[in-house]
Amino acid sequence: MAGLDIFLQNIANGVLMGGVYALIGIGLTLVFGVMRTINFAHGDFVVLGMYSAVLFNALLGWDPYLSLVLAMPIGFFAGVIVERFILSRVIDAPPESALLATLGISLIIGNAILLTFGGEPRSVQVSYASSTFSIAGVNLSMVLLLAGIATVIMIAALYALLNRTEVGRAIRGTAENRLGAELVGIDTRRIHSIVFGLGVMLAVMAGVTLIPLLFATPTNTGAVFTLKAFVVTVLGGLGNVGAAIAGGILLGVVEVLGASYFMSEYREAYGLIAFLLILLFRPEGLFGRTVKRV
Amino acid sequence: MTKHLIGLGVLLAVGVAYPAIFPNNLTIAISVLLFAGWATSWDLLGGWNGQVSLGHASFVGLGAYFVAIGQSQFGLAPWWTMAMAAAVAAVLAYFWGWLTFSLRGPYFSLSTIAVAEILRLVAINEEWLTGGATGVFIATLPEPFGVDLFSRTAQFYMALAFATVVIATVIVISRARFGYQLRAVREDEDSAMAAGIDPTATKLKAFMLSAALTSIGGGIYGIVLAFIEPHVIFALLLSVQIALTAIIGGRGTIWGPAVGALVLIGAGEMFRTTFAEANMLIYGILILVVVLFVPRGIVGELARRHIRRLYAKRAQG
Repeated sequence: MAGLDIFLQNIANGVLMGGVYALIGIGLTLVFGVMRTINFAHGDFVVLGMYSAVLFNALLGWDPYLSLVLAMPIGFFAGVIVERFILSRVIDAPPESALLATLGISLIIGNAILLTFGGEPRSVQVSYASSTFSIAGVNLSMVLLLAGIATVIMIAALYALLNRTEVGRAIRGTAENRLGAELVGIDTRRIHSIVFGLGVMLAVMAGVTLIPLLFATPTNTGAVFTLKAFVVTVLGGLGNVGAAIAGGILLGVVEVLGASYFMSEYREAYGLIAFLLILLFRPEGLFGRTVKRV
Repeated sequence: MTKHLIGLGVLLAVGVAYPAIFPNNLTIAISVLLFAGWATSWDLLGGWNGQVSLGHASFVGLGAYFVAIGQSQFGLAPWWTMAMAAAVAAVLAYFWGWLTFSLRGPYFSLSTIAVAEILRLVAINEEWLTGGATGVFIATLPEPFGVDLFSRTAQFYMALAFATVVIATVIVISRARFGYQLRAVREDEDSAMAAGIDPTATKLKAFMLSAALTSIGGGIYGIVLAFIEPHVIFALLLSVQIALTAIIGGRGTIWGPAVGALVLIGAGEMFRTTFAEANMLIYGILILVVVLFVPRGIVGELARRHIRRLYAKRAQG
């Protein structure tokens, strides 16, 4: 294959992988934008999604995408419950309290999965796992393509929710100014619950779309995803949904290109280095516009 | 101050007698002492200075790798490599802090995770130095004054000395000018600046001291393990464990981190058969309890109640 073909192939893989990263990152950034809380358990909710697909597959023989029908609403309500009973109590405490609470939730989820499913890696076998779809000489993995399509649909739905509905307006209002939103009659506590539920739902969905591709392990995978979500959101700017999409795709492409042209063993490190550089050189950009756009 | 020094004396007395009384439970006592030392070092930065680090496993790993590589590849005795590790940890903390202390709030915590992860990847991939994912093995150790460093009793005394030195350092600092500067910066950076304190310099000093102390404990841990794998020693979970030990015990208190280590390692041991590898579940549940109901941690809450009782007594007169 010519060099250009390989390059295009890499870009395509990077963009598709980046789409899933974006899906994970959006959940984190939405929660941060509205609640000003860094959710350390976000990656563990992704893993929870992966295990829900494993569970539905084992019990009912469902395809991962079919299990989304149940997994997404369950994820939403799990998020609402976690917010109501834990996070709403610390929302006005010093910021580390919420951070530590989500760290605790992360440990509880990871270890509860470990107790239920055991430590060995789990996955779901699907018939289309290795099939590819060829377009202009570029082979796209069917699994990644489906994940990409699901991401686009979800982002479009989220966009419509935020910009075309009354709840979306309330969410944007709360993100912009919580007190102001209260003054015009928005129940911001309800909005917080909804937003956290949405964040968990997005994480669960990303997990389900990833399960044909990756193995799930109870505790390590969660931390990896949380870190990826941080990288994505900080690359884009915390609290900014549009930027999280760009950040996700950027991370996907940087990882794939870095791994294929430089040292593949440092694949994970490229994103982290980019993350540190952004933190160092554009921290004011990260703080600056976070409230304006959600 | 006297009270704390008496406490330290009690710790030393109990510690010196411990191996004779419980010769079969040395390994768990070593973990308690090492975690007490690490959590107390973490607390210098995280509790007294308010900068929550989730990357302290880097310094543990640094100490352990220095001891292991120094011994196996260069034949250097552990005390030299521990001193080197402490110096390198302080230098690393200086640059790390210099880069990241301009960030306030959660951004510092996030950057500590990223730096620790990068160090872990380096340890896994640079096989020529670290033995890669398989790790380094310590086959021989020197015998200072005929003491076998592989014996658990000798390792116990090293861990005891480490914990004692760290706690003594914090006792001294808590009453020194530096200790008040740390707390002033934690409470309000702008007011501290107005009072003539340089917040960045204060944070840098705390971070460097915390890093150097942690890496010395890491060196002892390396000797205890005798076999160092990057997945274990640089794990994010170890960083989290160190931070949570201090926070559950009581941030910014002298004995909180040590009490936290005793409670958490003890609980982990008790539930070992029930939860097997899932023993971090206890940390998760306890940190939620602390955040929701006792934000000061165990020792912080006890101290608060004690002070209220004193006031009540005085009011009754």
